Amino acid sequence: MQFLTKISAQGLNVFYAEKQALFDVYLDIPKHQVTALIGPSGCGKSTFLRCVNRMNDVIESCRVEGKLALDGDDLYAEGIDVVALRARVGMVFQKPNPFPKSVYENVAYGPRIHGLANTRAELDEIVIQSLERAGLFAEVKDRLHDSGTSLSGGQQQRLCIARAIAVSPEVILMDEPCSALDPIATARIEELIGVLRESFTIVIVTHSMQQAARVSQTTGFFHLGRVIEVGDTPQIFTDPRETKTRDYITGRFG
Amino acid sequence: MTRIVEPALSALRQQLLRMGSLAEAILEKSLQSLWRRDVALAREVRIDDLEIDRLDIAVDEMVLRILATQAPVADDLRNVIAGKMIATDLERVGDLARNIAKSAERLATRDKVEVPPGLRTLADEAQRILRRALDAFSEHDADRATAVLGDDDQVDADEDAVIRTAIEEIASHPEFTSQEVDFILIAKNLERVADHSTNIAEDVILATKARNVKHAGKLAAGT
Repeated sequence: MQFLTKISAQGLNVFYAEKQALFDVYLDIPKHQVTALIGPSGCGKSTFLRCVNRMNDVIESCRVEGKLALDGDDLYAEGIDVVALRARVGMVFQKPNPFPKSVYENVAYGPRIHGLANTRAELDEIVIQSLERAGLFAEVKDRLHDSGTSLSGGQQQRLCIARAIAVSPEVILMDEPCSALDPIATARIEELIGVLRESFTIVIVTHSMQQAARVSQTTGFFHLGRVIEVGDTPQIFTDPRETKTRDYITGRFG
Repeated sequence: MTRIVEPALSALRQQLLRMGSLAEAILEKSLQSLWRRDVALAREVRIDDLEIDRLDIAVDEMVLRILATQAPVADDLRNVIAGKMIATDLERVGDLARNIAKSAERLATRDKVEVPPGLRTLADEAQRILRRALDAFSEHDADRATAVLGDDDQVDADEDAVIRTAIEEIASHPEFTSQEVDFILIAKNLERVADHSTNIAEDVILATKARNVKHAGKLAAGT
């Protein structure tokens, strides 16, 4: 099957001062799919993820070379509006990090600063819809004005997902979104990822091989800053082409 | 929301149900070609069997993918393993039907010898066991599966009876030896169909109750 490419890295090199973190990365992320990035710690997968919404800009010593494109547009071209970019490319982090505000305000924040709602009723609708799509609304509908931090870990993470999707992004980046959650909360997030991919392109960094296998359609294996292998997830997990990939996913090294 | 493993498991199940109904249909066709001395029908069986083989390969692929990507546990895992074994049994039923059709084709082109009545009884019994095993699978019903297990003994007795009669016929009418040998082969193939059906019932019990009842009789008897 042929998929349209949403994000395309062509010869991407990233440096933190003198230290090179990514080496000549070529990687296409298909649209409306879940792409999992796996590899041992320090392999560059999170660095790659952070390049996509230019989170690395805040690290002064960071330098990006090569091309990284979203829908064909170079994300590192001059004049790119980084704030607008981050509305198109949302992010969910390892630890749930709701703002110390109410559940409602957590989700309303993005649409408000991006001017997505003209009236209170419109904003209410965005908030409710986002919470519903994140599979959280039923649990919090009577607690919309409680603090976001009063929710359980799994609920907080779904709140962060609701916050990310409230601004109607095209891409959601997830950096180990379940590593702080118990198995039940993890299963809920994984199910949610499966549903969300119909509307968004999802890139997930995970240390759990099984999670990558369960949730993704494409898997990329990074090692020492290079992409070793990219392929259909079932192929990677049944018949990896590269010995290094096999050794990693079978636990022979890592 | 549905569990992430669910669509893959349900696709596997659908594939097995398709394989099951195809196996039943192809066995029926092979027997019809035998009763009616219909060479053309017997030849169709060969083509139909290829479809079962294709489904078998597809099941292998699905099982491999599910194991590699979903890491199923508990009843999910048992369903996948049992599903793989059931596919192997159904593929074998297809091959046996193909063998029966080959015999039917040979019998239809030689002098007519009446099919021994015991063979019809045996065929009915083998078909019935296969249908009951597949019902147990489609209903996820361990009780029905357990009920299938005992029926195998009757089939073995019927098979012995057909073989005995055939041997007697060969002694009295040596000119019909090749026809009688085909009746023996068909009896053997039908007995194997019943064996594979019993295996399917055992796999249903493994999947639903986590109990392995294979070889229970032999192991208990110690011989």
